[in-house]
Amino acid sequence: MIVHGGFQAQITQAQAAAVIISTVIGVGVLHLPQLAARTALSAAPMATFIALTLSFVGLTILSLLSMRFPRQTLIEYSELIVGRWAARAANTLIIVFFIILTAYTAREFGSVVIVSVLRDTPLQMTVLIMLLLAALSARHDIRTFAHIHLFYTPIILAPALLITLFSMSNSNLLYLQPIFIYDNKQFLPGILTMAALFQGSFVYSIIVPNMREPQQALRSSSWGFGIAGLLYLIIVTVIISVFGPRETALMVWPTLELAKTAALPANVLERLDAPFLALWVIAVFTTLLSSYYLAIHMLSKMLRLADQRMLTFTLLPLIFVLAMLPQNIVQLYQIIEVIGIIGLVLTIGYPLILLLIAVIRKMRGDANEDDQNAAAIS
Amino acid sequence: MFPFKWLRTHTFRNRKSGVTNSPDPPAPDQILNMYKGKLVTESLEYTERFILDILGENDDFVFRHIRILARYPATVCYLSTLTNESNLEQEVFKPLMSAHVPHLVEQPLDKEHLKRAIPEQILYHSDLSIETKLVRVVEAVLHGYVVVLVDGLDTAYVLKSRSVKNRSIEQPQTEQVVQGPREGFIEMLETNLALIRYRLPTPDFRIKTMRIGKLTKSQVAVCYIEGIANPSLVAEVMRRLSKIDIDILLDAGYLEQYIQDHHLTPFPQIHITERPDKAVANIAEGRVIILMDGSPFALIVPSVFSQFFHTAEDYTSRYLQGNFVRFARVVALIFSLVLPSLYVSMISFNPELIPTEFAVAVAGGRAGVPFPSVVEVLIMEVSMEVLREATIRLPQQVGGALSIVGVLVIGQAAVSAGFASPITVVVIALTTIGSFATPAYTAAFALRMLRFPLIILAGIFGLYGVMVGLILICNHLLSLKSFGVPYLTPIVPGDYEGLKDSVIRQPLWTLWKRPTFLYTRNRIRARKSTDVNSEQSSVLDPGRMDGKEGEH
Repeated sequence: MIVHGGFQAQITQAQAAAVIISTVIGVGVLHLPQLAARTALSAAPMATFIALTLSFVGLTILSLLSMRFPRQTLIEYSELIVGRWAARAANTLIIVFFIILTAYTAREFGSVVIVSVLRDTPLQMTVLIMLLLAALSARHDIRTFAHIHLFYTPIILAPALLITLFSMSNSNLLYLQPIFIYDNKQFLPGILTMAALFQGSFVYSIIVPNMREPQQALRSSSWGFGIAGLLYLIIVTVIISVFGPRETALMVWPTLELAKTAALPANVLERLDAPFLALWVIAVFTTLLSSYYLAIHMLSKMLRLADQRMLTFTLLPLIFVLAMLPQNIVQLYQIIEVIGIIGLVLTIGYPLILLLIAVIRKMRGDANEDDQNAAAIS
Repeated sequence: MFPFKWLRTHTFRNRKSGVTNSPDPPAPDQILNMYKGKLVTESLEYTERFILDILGENDDFVFRHIRILARYPATVCYLSTLTNESNLEQEVFKPLMSAHVPHLVEQPLDKEHLKRAIPEQILYHSDLSIETKLVRVVEAVLHGYVVVLVDGLDTAYVLKSRSVKNRSIEQPQTEQVVQGPREGFIEMLETNLALIRYRLPTPDFRIKTMRIGKLTKSQVAVCYIEGIANPSLVAEVMRRLSKIDIDILLDAGYLEQYIQDHHLTPFPQIHITERPDKAVANIAEGRVIILMDGSPFALIVPSVFSQFFHTAEDYTSRYLQGNFVRFARVVALIFSLVLPSLYVSMISFNPELIPTEFAVAVAGGRAGVPFPSVVEVLIMEVSMEVLREATIRLPQQVGGALSIVGVLVIGQAAVSAGFASPITVVVIALTTIGSFATPAYTAAFALRMLRFPLIILAGIFGLYGVMVGLILICNHLLSLKSFGVPYLTPIVPGDYEGLKDSVIRQPLWTLWKRPTFLYTRNRIRARKSTDVNSEQSSVLDPGRMDGKEGEH
């Protein structure tokens, strides 16, 4: 048994994969098809695939880096690789980025809820409840964190798959042709914006050090990201084939519209959008929890705190204010696009630099040695 | 040799320390504490004095001088309330006083000889032990033993002859089955241990006892199987039990509250059972059972959530039958938690979800109801809880009348008075029945309680609120642990062997390994037999019969 940070490193491969799945599937489910359609029209599935690949490259770099230092978190080994102050500056940026990401995830969710279900409820209320939910759940240790993700993963996957299944009958394959489109000015920025939606997977950097078999990290992340990516691809394909690329590009949340068109056999429930949104709360919650947990976990490591509990509620007001800053949905999505692309540089570029330097300097965290290091630090 | 030595030194000490310190004479318990470790002396008078001073005030304390074999002075003392006195005459007094061993009577015995002769030749009581400590002698009397003190010997003979009235073994009230053993635990620890022991005739079965409680000194027994139960689990159970510092311990529920992991949670982390067969099944799975004198309940540690909707009948009945019932129970469990809140959120926030024809009926039923649906449901739920509590408290003869009145008031009358809509009544009824279908009362109680915050959340935020509430409950469940075992095992974290017996139970012969999450020392439950049917031959099939039998 490997003891790390006072308790046994016990996260299994399945749990690690589940963390990736439920983190990557989140608020993006509603908005991504529109982005894809705007970027590449009928080639939206292909654009989604490219964005997923780009994001997966980032995750792979992170996995490789974590496997090189199997018992240390990003905060710890980055200080070894590039020196304390450079690492601290970069890590601070990452933490700030994930705080902002948390804020806008909560805000995006709150907007969807007040627009589609609770029309008379103030936005502040829905956002605050979601943040409180995440903060309460972020008080648990990392094992419970992994258990939470594993528990919800099937519940996240099922409704999205069911909705797409039920609306298959309305699809028109002609909408999906041509499969490839290149001559679009928006193509590259669109891809980047889409890739930015999957950045929650960066949470993997705190999962790997607590895995039972960190050497299998790449396998778990591939499985997890593969399943989540497949779900996104299915959703985008079905939506484009049902609504057509032009129509999809005009909708803010096409997946929600898809849920409205779907109907259960035998008319058990008249409409499916409200139950879908209710279950979608879980997907948002896990994503929110991941980014929030990541931010406070990294911050507590950087401040050399015993655990992250103290930070859970201290950061909450800041995040709430950040979430309330955008005036409306349009402005929100503009900000998310800008922040997302900055985030891509941080979450893919920074680990890449670290990995390159570590390879060049032939640095490697030995599992046994690092156990002691990690135990001493954390 | 001064018989009143202890009294003397004591008064002397008191005088010296002054009146202010302790004007009252010390309580017997304090004296016992002072004399901890003191041995029984050869002087009978001294020992008598000591015991009389401590227990003499009690009217049920019997203190009798006799002469063993009509020669050696001795004293028999016991508490008459805890002893069957007619047995005593036959089993203790008669052998001691009659000269039934001729060669011992003929000549006087020396001390050493007498010391050996009493347990070996004179007393034929089976449960006899020799005690040398003064304090233990007094404690033995208090626990219902008979003590024989002999002049000139520095030992006391302690004979077990406790007899307390107890009820007979009945069918367990809280866990009745259609098919399966009908024995239930009773209040007597010995009977309960016997009920387990006769089912487990193995040398590996261990019973460790200890006494807990300053006043009650209740006997607590920890049962497990050596070689299956994880030794560190047993050690942890013993450690938690030994740390309990309490004056009275009257039921296993006291113990549960002391040794559970999380106190501020509605969910029980220790399973309680009244059934010896269930206790044995859990012991064999690698768990530890805690029994105590005076309580008909056994604690099962560690427990996981899925155990709370399992019953003994799931295993005694056939595979499909057992699973069907278990599945119905899971549905009931979910009903009892979410049904009223889903109803409230659908009525008040998402009426578009209800199929049109039904929506008309719902609206028609609600037409005369003045309250918003959340208030209506809350009122009905609260009155249902009151009614339920009232039926438990009332004597059984009146209970039937009350339930009729209750049904009328909560049902028909409330609807016709325009107080509640008929569908609300249906929902409340389903919820209540659902909570009765959960076999573990404590777990059902948790869901009963959590129903209320969910209804309120549903009334404020609709489906979104219900979802947030459910996420909170699930996260809470996921963070609970019972002796280190995550509460939702084997579902999360996944455990293949455990999953075979969670929401559905696989056929018994496939459960040939013990659940992994208990980290048992021996993983194999039984020989792996992949196909039971292949080993059976259909002997009465005419086509297979040979010889004369087939020619008929």
